[in-house]
Amino acid sequence: MMLPTLLAAAALPLLQNGLFVGAILFSLGLVGILTRRNLIVMFLSAELMLQGISVSLVAWSRYHGDFGGQVLVIFVLSVAACEAAVALVFVLQAFTRTGRLDAAAWQSLREASLPRSVDHEIPAFNDAMPSFPRLTQAGHSPATDEAAASQRDHV
Amino acid sequence: MSPSQLLILVPLLPLLAALATVIAGRRLGSRAHLPAVFGIAAAAIVAVSLVITTARSSGGGENPRPVDMVTTLWEWATVADAYEPEAGSPAAVPGTAIGADAHAARPLSIAVALRLDPLTATMLAIITGVGLLVAVYSIGYMHDDPGYPRFFALVAMFVFSMSMLVAASNFLLVYVFWEAVGACSYLLIGFWFSKPEAARAAKKAFLVNRVGDFGLAIGVFLLWLTYGTLDFHDTLSPDGTILPGILGQTRLADVSGYVGGLVGTAICLLLLLAACGKSAQLPLHVWLPDAMEGPTPASALIHAATMVTAGIYLIARCAPLYMACPGALVTVSIIGTTTALVAALIGTVQNDLKRVLAYSTISQLGYMFASLGTGTLLGFTAAIFHLLTHAFFKALLFLGAGSVMHSMGGVIDMRRFGGLRKLMPITAVTFLIGSLALAGIAPFAGFFSKDEILASLHSKGWPDAHHAATGEHHALLTTPGLTGQTIHDVGYRGVSAQSDHALSSSAATGLDALNQPFVWQLLFWMALITAGLTAFYTFRAVFMTFTGPLRVPEEAGHHAHESPPVMTLPLLILAVPATLAGLVLFSTESLSHFLAATPSFTAPSVLETATPAVFHWDLAIQGTLAAALGIVLAAVGHLGRRSDGPQMERWLGPFRPFLEHRMFIDQLYVGLIVKPLEAIAFLAAMFDRAFIDGIVRGVAWLPVATGAVVRRLQSGMVQRYALAGVIGVLAIIVILAWRL
Amino acid sequence: MTPIASPFTTVSLPTAALSGIDWLSPGVLLAAAVTCLAVSLWLVLPKAGRSGTFSRRLGLLLGAITLGLFIATGHRLGNLGEEAVLLTVSLVAVISAAATITCRSPVYAAIWFALCLSGVAGVLLVLGAQFLGVATIVVYAGAILVMFLFVLMLAQPSGLTTSDRITNEPLLSAVAGAVLLGLLSLSIGRLSADAPACCRLPTKAAALGATAESTPAASVDLLAADQVARLGGELFGRHLVAVEAIGILLLIALIGAIAIVSHGLEGDQAETSSLQEGRQA
Repeated sequence: MMLPTLLAAAALPLLQNGLFVGAILFSLGLVGILTRRNLIVMFLSAELMLQGISVSLVAWSRYHGDFGGQVLVIFVLSVAACEAAVALVFVLQAFTRTGRLDAAAWQSLREASLPRSVDHEIPAFNDAMPSFPRLTQAGHSPATDEAAASQRDHV
Repeated sequence: MSPSQLLILVPLLPLLAALATVIAGRRLGSRAHLPAVFGIAAAAIVAVSLVITTARSSGGGENPRPVDMVTTLWEWATVADAYEPEAGSPAAVPGTAIGADAHAARPLSIAVALRLDPLTATMLAIITGVGLLVAVYSIGYMHDDPGYPRFFALVAMFVFSMSMLVAASNFLLVYVFWEAVGACSYLLIGFWFSKPEAARAAKKAFLVNRVGDFGLAIGVFLLWLTYGTLDFHDTLSPDGTILPGILGQTRLADVSGYVGGLVGTAICLLLLLAACGKSAQLPLHVWLPDAMEGPTPASALIHAATMVTAGIYLIARCAPLYMACPGALVTVSIIGTTTALVAALIGTVQNDLKRVLAYSTISQLGYMFASLGTGTLLGFTAAIFHLLTHAFFKALLFLGAGSVMHSMGGVIDMRRFGGLRKLMPITAVTFLIGSLALAGIAPFAGFFSKDEILASLHSKGWPDAHHAATGEHHALLTTPGLTGQTIHDVGYRGVSAQSDHALSSSAATGLDALNQPFVWQLLFWMALITAGLTAFYTFRAVFMTFTGPLRVPEEAGHHAHESPPVMTLPLLILAVPATLAGLVLFSTESLSHFLAATPSFTAPSVLETATPAVFHWDLAIQGTLAAALGIVLAAVGHLGRRSDGPQMERWLGPFRPFLEHRMFIDQLYVGLIVKPLEAIAFLAAMFDRAFIDGIVRGVAWLPVATGAVVRRLQSGMVQRYALAGVIGVLAIIVILAWRL
Repeated sequence: MTPIASPFTTVSLPTAALSGIDWLSPGVLLAAAVTCLAVSLWLVLPKAGRSGTFSRRLGLLLGAITLGLFIATGHRLGNLGEEAVLLTVSLVAVISAAATITCRSPVYAAIWFALCLSGVAGVLLVLGAQFLGVATIVVYAGAILVMFLFVLMLAQPSGLTTSDRITNEPLLSAVAGAVLLGLLSLSIGRLSADAPACCRLPTKAAALGATAESTPAASVDLLAADQVARLGGELFGRHLVAVEAIGILLLIALIGAIAIVSHGLEGDQAETSSLQEGRQA
């Protein structure tokens, strides 16, 4: 039982370091949610903020020697799961309506007399991007390439 | 059931009928008249039984007992110790307060109390009787009208309100139902509210009546300040003292129980203002001719037979108050006679059949006022007598006019039809009977009542002649409680001699100076001329409508015919009292004896003016001659082939436009009241638009200006909103940290 | 400590005021770290205009300096092994978090986020929350993140849209985030048992809202061997009602997501056409 006493002596620095890490994660998540235009990345940033909160809660839990903080983090996890489910549905809906995952695609909700905000000087992106597997939407039968299918030598 | 319980039924049944019609009217459809007709019929039966009961309990004969049966339904409002009479105030007259302390504080207690006396019973019989016939007539007249249930609900509501008005035993209740009948009148004038004229006429009636109602309200306040109660009847306090009501037996028995002088005259003139509004007397008569825009049965019931007599009822009811103020009395007569003459003059040139009858109504009501103003028992009973006969024959005339209008397709201009006696014989005959009664031709009802009115005026103008003839009856009629006053002094003088303060303060009101025989003589001659004019315009209308070659307006189409039996039956029924009521009631003197048992008429001041009813041959001949002259002139002008033209009017020369424009009284009101008010309203509107609206707009401009700046933030980019929120949160944290 | 020569002395600032400043005190270090963080975030974040490789590299350098300053302001645990482990996992978490928000490709951002989650899980393990560390990996990296990736592949399988290449108000946002971090760090640094009353570390009783009647349970050893079992006992004992509520919430979220999807499948043509403005841009 060497470890607990050792750690108990350093309880306050451990709390401070934990809280600090939580604060950094929270602030970075905040910057992400404020700047990134992609709806998915915005939600990732929100999850980042939740992680920061979780770290802080666990740090306090450790300091006080109480399970309350950890229990709260379990609730945070559950709520994050719910939020992710509903939010992704909304993102999908938004995507089917506008065809974009851009938060600025909804700027027609602005004040009527204001001009449209148009992006200027969009930097070119020359890096080669790998193509990711494509998923078809549920309810649609995927278009199959008959010629390619017949020539496949292995399945 | 006791008479007082029966009395409750008279207003209650029409009220229930009205409610039933309101609730189930649409479901009843073309049978929506059933509740109203049966409710009013039952009320009429009860009212007749009440007349009989009252007559029996008054004992009949020439020296009746006062009948005064009060039913208190519930206490509406009570304020303890609301009034503390000062020493010497009439509310604390020792003789009127029996009990411990005349100066004890009294409660303001408004009881919903009904009082049965001969005057009330008579009025109830008229209201419910005419109301029943009008309701039956309306079944035919209002047939197929989209507002059929509404009409019967309103008629039943009116009968309820009017019954309550004449049965209420409290000035505040009288005021309430005074307004209620006004509201019913408003709703019925504006019955066809989609017609602009009808809406305007309803508004006009309402506004003009408001002037009179204002008088009534102030009068009621003054009554409260003066007498410390608003009840008609005496009430018994829990401690055993009697609080004398304004028209209760206690105060009536006291010779000095009523205030004269400035206050008394003010009360009487305010009540007179109210009566002028409701009964369409001279300054406020302008609403009644326009009120003919309403359905004809409503005109017959409300604007001829019943509601417009509310003013007569009020003044007759308050007779003891008026007896203490001779100046107010003579004012009543002057206004009445002037109205009678002016309205008759205007009526001679009207071409609208209903308007002729409307002016005739104003004129006849003026007669009643003239009679009331004489301040004699004969005058009061004559006014009620004329009210009764007038209700019958004027309702008959109106219903006849309605019958003509019904078959002429809504046309009421007499120049456009003629010779209708062949087309609608029943209407023609009954209309003729009504006209004879109105003109005052010998055996018909109007003759006798008009003769009594002329007699009452004559007795004031030439007092000596009357008392020489009738002096031997006086001993019989003097009340035992009165001191031996000189009987030759008819009218108010005996009263004012008994009451010193009344005498001295009466002289203070300048109106008393008008109470001179020559004034009364002038009024008598005016009334006689009016009698001739009445006969003239009545028969002008008869001749233009029913004689000459048959002319039918195109609106009537090809089916112009006599009205259905449901309409002619009320005409026939009404023709009977229009013919016989005067003769029967006059010859048996039953009405005058019956009415003499009314508490208000048993006040010593009224009772000592009693004269035996005698038939004045000289006055009868004068009146008949005037009427005959009028009929002859009408025949010369309009009988037969001349029935369609303005032959008579041509002779009037420059007076014709004056009369046709109703003596420019409406224009006078427009110039004196409406235009200045419009100018003030214009100024107020300018002030409102320029100044107040300016402030409001200035206040409204602030958020607009702020919004113009702030709404640039509403860019539709959600992340900018979030950024703004974060910056705000940071600012709050920094501020809080700074303070820490 | 002797004041080191400041570049600010050449500016018109009074030297006397600056000479009294302890240039290596935690407050100054923190201020420098926050400033560096703001500038580096601004430089690294994708933004409109020419974003050269140089500025990105400068941003990365400044970010490294920031990390160093953060480490310098950190508190010593007194146990070198523990310190090293915490430092490692924290660095993994923070660096990958920064990469998550600055990476242009959403797919890479998601993968960086997964790495960040593993770092966070490590921090949780160091802090003694073993169950939570594992649960974070399982729930987030295993479930939620995969769902994000599914959506990404469904909606945007390849390439970068214009909206991924630019960001919204990068400078202002970076400054705001850095200021927030500075404020939080200040208050964290002040935490000590002998701080003034306003910012004294709350006792456990105060933190748990204890009243005179109910004293909180005594501190338990969170690092005992049966800690997961005791966490479960705590969860289904003291917080049973909240657990039930969370269960209902999950169910509602499930039903709600299905309802929204099935409603959206019918499609609202009018609404869709009104939003074509965004699509055509």
